Amino acid sequence: MTRVVEVPGHFDHQAFDQFAQAFGAPEDERLLFDAHATKWGSPYGLVGLLAAGQWLMERERPKPLLTIPNDRDVAHYWARTGFFGHAEGLFELHGKVPYVAASGSSDVLLEVTPVRGADDVHSVVDRIQDRAAAILHELGLEAQATMGFAMALSEACQNIVEHAGTGGWVAVQTYHWRRRLGRRVAVIAVADAGVGFRASLEPTQAQRVGDRWSDAAALEAAIFQGVSRFRDPGRGQGLTGMRRYVGRWDGKLSLRSGTARLSIVPGWDDDVPMADGLPPFPGSQVQLIIPAQQNK
Amino acid sequence: MPFIDLRSILRGTVSGWYGDLVTRSTGHAVRCGVEEVLAECDGEQVAVMDFSSVRLLDLSCADEIVAKLLLQHGRSRPFLLRGISEDHQDALEPVLERHGLAAVAQDRAGGVRFLGVITNELRGVLSMLAERGSAEVEDVADHLAVPTAAAREVFDELLERRLALADAAGSQVISLA
Repeated sequence: MTRVVEVPGHFDHQAFDQFAQAFGAPEDERLLFDAHATKWGSPYGLVGLLAAGQWLMERERPKPLLTIPNDRDVAHYWARTGFFGHAEGLFELHGKVPYVAASGSSDVLLEVTPVRGADDVHSVVDRIQDRAAAILHELGLEAQATMGFAMALSEACQNIVEHAGTGGWVAVQTYHWRRRLGRRVAVIAVADAGVGFRASLEPTQAQRVGDRWSDAAALEAAIFQGVSRFRDPGRGQGLTGMRRYVGRWDGKLSLRSGTARLSIVPGWDDDVPMADGLPPFPGSQVQLIIPAQQNK
Repeated sequence: MPFIDLRSILRGTVSGWYGDLVTRSTGHAVRCGVEEVLAECDGEQVAVMDFSSVRLLDLSCADEIVAKLLLQHGRSRPFLLRGISEDHQDALEPVLERHGLAAVAQDRAGGVRFLGVITNELRGVLSMLAERGSAEVEDVADHLAVPTAAAREVFDELLERRLALADAAGSQVISLA
């Protein structure tokens, strides 16, 4: 039996819960991820889609199908991000994958990239820095924002290496966020299909929190108290560092894990700081948005 | 005086291709490399850790290298962090604060900075010391406008936390930078 998982038409972090709802709790049925009508896919959507495919593959479920967006521009954009190169190992692709020559002038700061170990983090950080300097300058951000951006990227990727228990995906891009902000933004999106924050922190934190222990409590502990599954007191600083970085540059940080999403919400956004009781989704998903400064 | 070029240690212990101090595992390897250098040097000498050719330092590496070296060796040996940038400082400050540590650093223009948990009083004395090069207890007392006994406590704290050196007679503190 094949079950259809509809990929939202505007597949970004706001529509991700709809995607998670459709993904549900797959068992042995084959899934068909239907993106034929998708008109936009953010880096967050793309890495989340790969995480779903990865979760199925690691559990030896039937290889899912993925229909490619009919919209030529959307399919080309997905190709430019390098999405299809990774998707073909996880999904049976249906539709014509566009051929896109590599271009250094793309708004794709970092193509969709797998993160499995420390070497991948080095590679990602190395590749991002020169391109990020130029792009962030265009966004009106000071030079200091570039290194902070790379540092936040490093910490977000390390969250996979240190805590997920499996690999994950990262992508970095700039785009004009017309619908919400009317400004250009630089976005880091990271997703994995691992154990998630709750399972990672449970051995050290669940007893302390007691009955309140949940996905939401785990996210709060990680980002506000800087706790980690390790007993080393120096651990757990990465997420708090990312929080400081977005605070400094008026950015937004969102972490979704299990059934909860915690966001550090800037003045330009009206998201809720904590959304609980969401449709469950494997692993954890992190998004960091840095907007162009107001005079740009 | 042991001079430790972190980029060289990175190349020697992890990879010749990397220019960034990122990830826990890299930090661990680099710290082990630094400890090998320190093991061959007189324990009282200032260990100068040079960041000049390090492009990016993330929080994980700052913790794994600097914080752990200070926690394990900082009571027995003074450290000077040389060639730090604003970005390095952004990673070092919260890490040192988390552990209640402090360090003397020098930026790429030679300016002296005091990182981590340092009271304003101590910061003022360290600044005076950086300008003058050395000071006696009476100089500290004059600077802080406090009695000599109180100045002696500050003097002792500088030495105990290895934020300054003592001269052979123990009558002066000497700047690390």
